[in-house]
Amino acid sequence: MTKRTDQTREEDLDMLEAHLAGTLKRVTPSSDLVQRLRGRIQMPTRTEITVRLTDWRRLLLVFGGVMSGMMLIVTLARAFYHFTGRRSAA
Amino acid sequence: MSELDYNEEEVLARASQGDRDAFGQLYAHYVERIFNYVYYRTGNSHDAEDLTARVFQRAMNHIVNYTDRGVPFSAWLYRIAHNLVANWHRDRSRKQEIPIDDLPILPARGEHPEGNLVRSQEQEALLKMIRKLPPERQNLLILKFVEDMSNAEIGRIMGRSEGAVKSLYHRTLLALRDQLEDQNLIFEGE
Repeated sequence: MTKRTDQTREEDLDMLEAHLAGTLKRVTPSSDLVQRLRGRIQMPTRTEITVRLTDWRRLLLVFGGVMSGMMLIVTLARAFYHFTGRRSAA
Repeated sequence: MSELDYNEEEVLARASQGDRDAFGQLYAHYVERIFNYVYYRTGNSHDAEDLTARVFQRAMNHIVNYTDRGVPFSAWLYRIAHNLVANWHRDRSRKQEIPIDDLPILPARGEHPEGNLVRSQEQEALLKMIRKLPPERQNLLILKFVEDMSNAEIGRIMGRSEGAVKSLYHRTLLALRDQLEDQNLIFEGE
């Protein structure tokens, strides 16, 4: 009796597997959808990725540029103060 | 390069150096599988489309970090998809939305749409049960039946041994059968 029950339960599993195979079937997305997704992903060009990877170089350049600009402003301000100071003393 | 000439190792090497065409080939090779995975995990094509796009977007942004350590690229992609689907479920549970049960709405390969209509309440009930299983078990069933993978292939993707996958599969079948019995859903033979 137990043997028969075990056998039945095994058959249940086989039937369940058959139903799973019938239910979980691969779906085919339409070619429209595949193209739309490709558009949404916006794959970057090789140069964009290269730029992203060497961003620290760009940052260094920006930092150098800002520092140079500040030095120039300070120098001009000192020169202006120097000349106007001398003129007012005379 | 056609799909026949597809050499994953070479394509991956080029893609990780920022070659756009190479990534396009990876996309073409995997988009259908990832879409199917996400589709069965979410239960609707709209979110599946959105999440599939995000999987490839993320893969593209991080492909320079991908290194082949014996784990196939597909496993890496499925891992990204798994994480995004998990976030999606978490967000949905926070929003307390009504579950979507519109699956299946796309025609399965080689089937007529009328066939889908016949695909019936039995299958809908089964899909609902599958979606209530723990994520790992859902992954296993999708990879086994939708992707038609062997236990060994599934093991490589899930990071488990072939024996562990076999055992998990058996436990999953038993759990599903018990649930079917609890709900008095008994399938007739084919």
